[in-house]
Amino acid sequence: MTELNRDAIQAQLKACTSKEATFKELVSLSKQLERLTDAEKIEENKVKGCESAVWLIERQENGICTFQADSDAKLMRGVLMVILSLTNGHSKAELQAMDLAAELNEFNLSSYLTSSRTNGILRILQQIQT
Amino acid sequence: MSFDANTIRDEFPILSMEANEHPLVYLDNAATTQKPQVVLDALITYYTTSNANVHRGAHYLSDRATAQFEHARDRVAQFLNAPENSYVIWTKGTTEAINQVAHGLEWCITPDDEILITSLEHHANLVPWQQLAFRTGARLRVLPLTSKGEWEPEYAHYFNEHTRIFACTQISNAIGVKTPLKDMLAAAKAVGAFTLVDGAQAVAHYEVDVTELDCDFYAFSGHKMYGPTGIGALYGKAHALDVLTPLQTGGEMVSHVTYNSTEFNTLPYRLEAGTPNIEGVIGLSAACDFLASQDREDMLIWEQKLARYVYDELKFNNDIEIYSPAIDTTVVSLSVPGIHTLDLNGYLDSQGIAVRAGSHCAHPLMAQLGVSSTLRASFACYNTLSEARRFCDVLLEAIEILGDD
Repeated sequence: MTELNRDAIQAQLKACTSKEATFKELVSLSKQLERLTDAEKIEENKVKGCESAVWLIERQENGICTFQADSDAKLMRGVLMVILSLTNGHSKAELQAMDLAAELNEFNLSSYLTSSRTNGILRILQQIQT
Repeated sequence: MSFDANTIRDEFPILSMEANEHPLVYLDNAATTQKPQVVLDALITYYTTSNANVHRGAHYLSDRATAQFEHARDRVAQFLNAPENSYVIWTKGTTEAINQVAHGLEWCITPDDEILITSLEHHANLVPWQQLAFRTGARLRVLPLTSKGEWEPEYAHYFNEHTRIFACTQISNAIGVKTPLKDMLAAAKAVGAFTLVDGAQAVAHYEVDVTELDCDFYAFSGHKMYGPTGIGALYGKAHALDVLTPLQTGGEMVSHVTYNSTEFNTLPYRLEAGTPNIEGVIGLSAACDFLASQDREDMLIWEQKLARYVYDELKFNNDIEIYSPAIDTTVVSLSVPGIHTLDLNGYLDSQGIAVRAGSHCAHPLMAQLGVSSTLRASFACYNTLSEARRFCDVLLEAIEILGDD
C-alpha cells in the first residue's frame, strides 16, 4: 500500500479554501487508493448504511491493524484515503481509544461530513473500532 | 398576462442566495419547490393576526382562524376543479393521503382481490399498497409501463373483475414522464375499481381537473407547488371517502363519545383527527392563489423549454444516458456510466447547483432502467435559461474531472 502520510494529506486538505478545491483534492486522493479486487468486493465486506457502496477489509499482523477499503464513488474513495491514513498502523486498543470522528474533523472535510454522507462515514469508523 | 421567469424570480427571496461561493442554481424542484413571498407572508400574517385553534369557536380569533381555514378548503377544491359532492381532506402530504386510502379500504379487501399500480410509482404509491396486500392476502400487480410512459393494449387484462384498487402516478418523479392516465383510469373504472391518482409531481406544472379525470381519489403535497412543507390534501368523491376507515382517531373527528362508543363526525372532519396544520393550510391556499395569478400555460411551456434545452445540449454526448423523454416534461434524469451520480452531484453542489442524485424513492423503476441511481435536474417557473446552460456546462466539467482514472 502507498505510504499514507496523514500530515501531508491533512495539510493538502487544509489548504483548500473552497468546496470546489476540497472536491478536487479528494478526487486526486482517490487516485492513490489501492483498489480492492472484485473477489474482495463481496457482500460480507460491505459497510452497511453508506449512500455509495463501501467495502472494508481488516488485516492484523503482530497486533497492528491494516485496513483496505474501496467504494464505487470517487469522492468516497478520497475520504477513505483520509480515513486509512488515520487508522492504519495502530493496534485495535489504540484505535478504540481514539476519537476518530474528531480526528477526521481536523481534515477540513466538514462540508462533506455534514451531508448525508456523515452516517455512512460514522459506520465505517465504528467498524474500524470493533 | 404573460409569463417571465426573471420577474417571477424576484418573488422568491431564497433564490438570491449564494451556495458554496456561487450563485445558487436550484434545480431540485421535483423534491420541493422554493416559496414565494406571498406564501411566506401568509404564514406570518396568520400568526400575527389570526392564530387560534379552529372549529372550537367561542372567540374572535378562533372564528377568524376557522374562516381562513375553511376558505382554504374551498380554495384547494377550486384549484383542483373539484365537483359537487366531493371533499378535500387535509393531510401531511401525498404519502399520508395515500396511506389514509390504503388503510381506509382495508376492511373491504379480500384475498381474491387485486391491487394494481404501475411500474413508474414512487415508493409512496407502492409500499402502502404492498403492505395492504400483505395484510389482506390480496395480490399486488404492477402494470408494466415503459420508461416512455407507453401503454400497451395487450396490458388490458391487468384490469379485470378482481381489480379492486388502481393507484397510479400522474407523472413519474424519477424521470418526469407522464403516464397514460386517461386510458388507464377508463380501464379501471370499467371494472369497478377504486381509482387513486398520485398528483405530487403534477400540481406545480399542470392545471389539475379532477372532474375531468373522474378519479375517486387524488393526492398531492403543498411543498411541491410553492406551498409549505407538512401540508397536502386527499381529494375524494363523497361516496369513496365515506367508506374509508379513519387512519387516526381522536379529537375533532368525533361527534359524540362515551366510554363504550364513539360516533364519528361527518366528512371532511371524520378523516382529520387532532388539531390540523392550520398555518400549512393557509400557506397552501396562498400557493394556490400564487399559481392562479400566473399564466399557467405559458409557465409550463417555459419549464418544458428549460428541460428541452438541457436534453438537446446533452443528447449527443456519448458519456451521458438520458432517461427522461425529449418533450412534454420538466425533468431531465440522466446518468454517466462509470461515474457515480453522488460524485457528479458533489461537484455540481460545489458550484452552487442543487440537483438530486439517487434512486428517487423508486427502486423498482431504477431496476427497470438498469441503473442504481440517476442525476435529476428538475425545473420550476423561476429557473432561467442561463441556469439550464450552467447546469450543462458544470456537468460536463464534472465528467471531465471525474472521468479520468
